Amino acid sequence: MSGRETAWRVLAQEFGASIEEEKAVGERAASYLLSPLGARMNRVLVSGVLSPGEAVGRDPENPFYRAKLTDPTGTVSVTAGGFNPRALAVLRSVTIPTPAIVVGKVHLFRGRDGTAYSSVRAESIRAASPEEVRGHLADAVEQTAERIRLLAELSNDPLQSSASAGGFPQLWVKSAREAKRRYPTVDIGTFRTPLREALRTISGELPLTAPIGPALTPAPAEAGAPAPSVRITRLAPPPPPPTATAAERAEESALLDVIDQLAEKSADGYAALNEVVRAAARTGVTSDRVEELLGRLEESGAVEEPVVGRLRRA
Amino acid sequence: MPLVPAAEDSLPAEVRLRDLRANDVPVSIVARVVTAERREIVRKSDGGRRPVLSGLLSDGTASVRFTWWDPPSDPIERGEVLRAVNVQVREFQGRVELTFNWKSRVAPAGDADLPKVNPEDIPLRPLAELRSGDDWFRVVARIVRVAPKTVSVGEERRLLHEGVIADSSGAVAFTAWSDFGLSPGEAIDVSGGYARAFRGRPQLVLDERSTVRRVPGEGLPSAESATRGLSRRISDIEATGGGELLELRGVIVALLPPSGLVHRCPECRRAVRQGLCRVHGTVQPEPDLRARLVVDDGTGTLTVNAGRPETERLWGRTLEQCLQTMRENPDPTLLEEQLFEAVFGRRIVVRGRGSADDFGVTVYPESIEVEAMDPVARARSIAGALGGSPG
Repeated sequence: MSGRETAWRVLAQEFGASIEEEKAVGERAASYLLSPLGARMNRVLVSGVLSPGEAVGRDPENPFYRAKLTDPTGTVSVTAGGFNPRALAVLRSVTIPTPAIVVGKVHLFRGRDGTAYSSVRAESIRAASPEEVRGHLADAVEQTAERIRLLAELSNDPLQSSASAGGFPQLWVKSAREAKRRYPTVDIGTFRTPLREALRTISGELPLTAPIGPALTPAPAEAGAPAPSVRITRLAPPPPPPTATAAERAEESALLDVIDQLAEKSADGYAALNEVVRAAARTGVTSDRVEELLGRLEESGAVEEPVVGRLRRA
Repeated sequence: MPLVPAAEDSLPAEVRLRDLRANDVPVSIVARVVTAERREIVRKSDGGRRPVLSGLLSDGTASVRFTWWDPPSDPIERGEVLRAVNVQVREFQGRVELTFNWKSRVAPAGDADLPKVNPEDIPLRPLAELRSGDDWFRVVARIVRVAPKTVSVGEERRLLHEGVIADSSGAVAFTAWSDFGLSPGEAIDVSGGYARAFRGRPQLVLDERSTVRRVPGEGLPSAESATRGLSRRISDIEATGGGELLELRGVIVALLPPSGLVHRCPECRRAVRQGLCRVHGTVQPEPDLRARLVVDDGTGTLTVNAGRPETERLWGRTLEQCLQTMRENPDPTLLEEQLFEAVFGRRIVVRGRGSADDFGVTVYPESIEVEAMDPVARARSIAGALGGSPG
């Protein structure tokens, strides 16, 4: 049936660990992101606490916003652009961490070094009560546990025919087999353990997690450019001062030189943030100061950080 | 001149319709006329006209299409039993057909001449295994609901009885063209019916040829329990192409147009565009509420067509309130936006019937209830399920 794509219920950990793609062949065919647990995602429903949206890109004609959605297992990057005005309006209007549910299309960006960064292009976002979010998290935990159970059944009995793989949707069985083939070394246990933790959040024992640290620095990149990996998080810099003195400009240009040098040597053409901090430390600039300068440079568009922690001159 | 046996002596043996095989041997049959229609075939070469009577014959073992070239001018009525000798058996599109030609001889016969069919000989079939086009099966099922309905067949008005029957394997809709005096809750043993496709699903059809017997119905679900079935996964409902007496749980993830405030023709309830009904022309449109909900449970997705009462309940707003909003702010997309805000992400339980087309399964609900999230209870039950697997 050429129906609509199902919204898979996934937690941030499984989503972030998904790097295998099933590329579309033919006209208007859908692409899928296959998770290590066998979720074959074109669309997902995710829930958690949404951080304030940040503008990405400088073209006011093509607004593109990005936010982080944090659940008990990690963080998912959520984006919205002009094609989804409804979702974009929500990302724009969220100013404090807010419990929310998101339905959207899965997007995978592969950096020049081959690293995969997954994100959700929101179709619909709604602020929700913590109770509602916990209910949706319950769905995600339950279905994640089901996928794990299916993988275990397939491992115990690899010859089991799809018909006899007791009670699972056929597509799940097929996708689970494919996941075993494409992620041969994945340790399922690392996905099972966080589920119990997540249940403590769902039952209300633990609060819904707020996004780790303040919101990300806006990274001036083109609309549709990479979203941050869910596995890389860092503290965002304090807000930059309004104007820069000549001395500060000198500091900035010194930092830009450092970035250029490092970017030249690096495989993917980007300077790693931690290396920039280390190199700057050698010239006596503290890491706090580097953060501050970078924040300003990114704000002004001199430096771009399409992927969190990867920098280059714009 | 050698003796030639008289034609009567070489009468082919009478064959049950079920046992017909397409070959060159003419057969002899006794069967009841189910439908018959008189037409004229125009020969292309010279424009000559030839009358033909065609329709469906049944003897209780099977139903077979027939074509009768140059039939007698006397009317052949539905329900008449005929004995036909020297009939040609052919195969057309994989099904056996009978042809009556100049060599065939047809005479009236009586019910007593029809082959004896013992219902016990007909194989019993679970409802879930009925497929469109099937006949020669027997089902034992509970009548969940049944209601009379009058329809027009050609120029004729006919009364039929429509409903749903269920057994432990599932439920199907049925149409009875004869009045068997069916009432809800009864357990019946039906033979001589056939299954045809209706809205993409097999439907049981009963008519004069069918036999309905009342049975005790042990082991059958009660009419009440059949309507309160266990929730099925949406992937499962998609796989079976919908069905009767569905129950499903899922989250509203999107709205399809048209949703919200719509205008309908007062005659036919069709949507009115620019004051024009597709059938009735210029009409005074009546406002109505509807919602086409996309419901998703993580295994699959389908559309639920909610009417005005369900939409009002889900939305928490009445049609009158919506009309008021329109008077204050005449932007229909605003209303749709507000409806979406009200329903997106809600978990609902839907009961009704569903059918499938190229765009997936559509459910026509009898009831939609919003289900509480109740995360504490969910956490407890999931923890129980996780407990079995080594942490």
